[in-house]
Amino acid sequence: MSLDRAKVSRRGFLGLGVAAGVITLTACGSSSGSSDEPLVMTVWGGETDRSTYQKRIDLLVKKHPDLKVKLQLIPSDSYAQKVQTMIAGGNGPDIMQVAENVNVYSSKNQLRPLDDLAKKAGLDLQKRFGAIGSLYSYQDKVYAIPDRSGAMIVYYNKTLFESKGIDAPTADWTWDDALAAFKELTTKGKTWGYGGAGWWPQWWSFAYQNGGTIIDANGRPAVDSDEVVEALQWAGDLLFKHGVVPSKAEYADMGADVGGDQAFAAGKVAVNATGFWAISGLAKTEFEWDIAPMWRGKKQAVSSFGSGLAISRTAKNPDNAFKAIDFLTSPEAQQQIIATGQDVPANIEVQQSEAFLKPAWMKTTVNMGVFAESSSFLFKAPFIPEWNEMQAAFDTGLADFWLGKQKSAKVALTAVQKNLESIIKSAG
Amino acid sequence: MAMSKLRRREALWFYLFVSPWVIGFLVFLLGPMISSIYLSLTDWDSFTPPKWVGLQNYVKLLTDDPVFWKALGNTFHYAAISVPLGLLVGLWLANLLNKQVRGRKVFRTLIYLPTLVPLVAAAMVFRVVLAPSGPFNDVLGLVGISGPQWLLDPSWVKYALILLSVWGAGSATVLLLAAMKGIPRELYEAAEVDGAGPVRQFWSITVPHLTPVIFFNLVMGLIAAFQVFSQVYILTPKASQPGTYNASQTMVPYLFDQAFSYYHMGYASAISWLLFAVILVFTLLAFRTTRRWVFYETEVK
Repeated sequence: MSLDRAKVSRRGFLGLGVAAGVITLTACGSSSGSSDEPLVMTVWGGETDRSTYQKRIDLLVKKHPDLKVKLQLIPSDSYAQKVQTMIAGGNGPDIMQVAENVNVYSSKNQLRPLDDLAKKAGLDLQKRFGAIGSLYSYQDKVYAIPDRSGAMIVYYNKTLFESKGIDAPTADWTWDDALAAFKELTTKGKTWGYGGAGWWPQWWSFAYQNGGTIIDANGRPAVDSDEVVEALQWAGDLLFKHGVVPSKAEYADMGADVGGDQAFAAGKVAVNATGFWAISGLAKTEFEWDIAPMWRGKKQAVSSFGSGLAISRTAKNPDNAFKAIDFLTSPEAQQQIIATGQDVPANIEVQQSEAFLKPAWMKTTVNMGVFAESSSFLFKAPFIPEWNEMQAAFDTGLADFWLGKQKSAKVALTAVQKNLESIIKSAG
Repeated sequence: MAMSKLRRREALWFYLFVSPWVIGFLVFLLGPMISSIYLSLTDWDSFTPPKWVGLQNYVKLLTDDPVFWKALGNTFHYAAISVPLGLLVGLWLANLLNKQVRGRKVFRTLIYLPTLVPLVAAAMVFRVVLAPSGPFNDVLGLVGISGPQWLLDPSWVKYALILLSVWGAGSATVLLLAAMKGIPRELYEAAEVDGAGPVRQFWSITVPHLTPVIFFNLVMGLIAAFQVFSQVYILTPKASQPGTYNASQTMVPYLFDQAFSYYHMGYASAISWLLFAVILVFTLLAFRTTRRWVFYETEVK
């Protein structure tokens, strides 16, 4: 599960006290570590995540008894703040889980570049992880090793598809094919064809399929281009022109915090594009379902979810930390990620293994090969240092668009473009 | 001589009892406060060393940050309605609960209950209650009003927040009720003999006696309203409710975003000091007006 997704449902409250707390902590000195101290590894998530990481660490310690790793699990909604506080307080972790916000840290000199360590260890990132091998890089240096990674995939309600006589979605569906199917699958006020594309991995996929890009090769925002505008307009039209996607109001009526994932599980939307994690919510559905790769526009493109492991600048023993990461991303340790049903392992060898394609815990037949199939057309989302601000700019700039108050994607994106130009200072 | 010994002993007790707060203040508040003044004059991402920028953060906030002004405006809007409304509702409820009716103990409990519900839980419930076709709008529908999309419509979301704040008026009610109970009965009896009706009694006896408590609630309410955070944070999370994100953005959530989402710790510190200044001004204004309307019984005696 990506950290970004966790934010969608984040709650809890932190007030001024947190700000004061951070500053208080910064006033405290850092403790100097001896080489005997365990490596501290911070990850986010819940209980499944804890047990999966711990199992992998246990395997590591069995293999390398000289390494000691202390796992620190932090709830997703406060992970970034907690790590920020730890680093600011001089007690940063040695190994830390990072995702879209990796370059918040790398651009501020908080992470160690890993190219030399990888070379020394003989780790070929392209070979082990394929196209996403260098996903977490900044200014041509790699700052995190991919650990969990899965394409966004298409969940579809098999029962509903069959009852309407529609063939299952494929990677060769065009936008028109998708729209035609959604229209068939929609029963006004009861079921909708598609869960919607308001979340960045969803509509950005269409933008890249259409030949667009969010940040161009020179590091400048490019969201007002014709390609991106056309893609967003298509996604918006699904809602307001064709009515095949539930509106915000209709979602709100389904319950607090109901989005595409929950609505799909409840049988209210027939197609939903999201990540691996939704599988766990579909163990007991009243209908049959399966997964398929993302459809295509002018070309194939789909976003990927996941996270990587990075070594902090203050790590006590970077060589040991890398040794740990090297093992944790090896096939042996990565097997655990699918064995517990936690996520998709980034290691390609594991993604193609029998253990991944037919997990023991899976009750129904699910086409798990979709993940490997999608990996050839993943696009690389721009993980810029200003990631969070960029997301906020999209959130606010497109708010009226997703509410149907601003019908023109061109107008909305022109405003976002202007905002992004003031937010993104550095090129790269 | 004996008097001064007693005084000294009393002073000793005073310092003893107040010391936990003093120590807490010095250790946990004063240091961070001073360092945040310094930080507000720097560009600091919380990782790399702060860079001195002088008053640049303040200049940018006041002259070149539309979101800040929007948040400030929203905060004023929220405070201007929720504080007086909360007081009025509290006063009204307290007056009702002061009547000699059957089951008033049950009512007192019920009215205080919302204050005991954790805010997070209450806000979650409100999200369901205020859904476009939720129970609240259903009730409005019964009397022929078609309810707005409370949390989705930028022009209504602030009123949803105000509604949530008024729902918690129970704590003010309890304080006002206690004060009402303390008003000497003979004042009412005398008024009755003089021929004053219940309304006249309320305005000429009850309200003047309550003014110190009203004043206390006003000041505390103002401070709480300016610092509103949890309600906004939970009721209108920016990711699932981006439509109302800017419309419901108030000062502290904005500060939080700048500090912990965008890593502009220096800028966030500047926001917190501007907020401090705003609260200070309004609290002082409130104190300046006390002479005109707050009545302390001790002043008469």
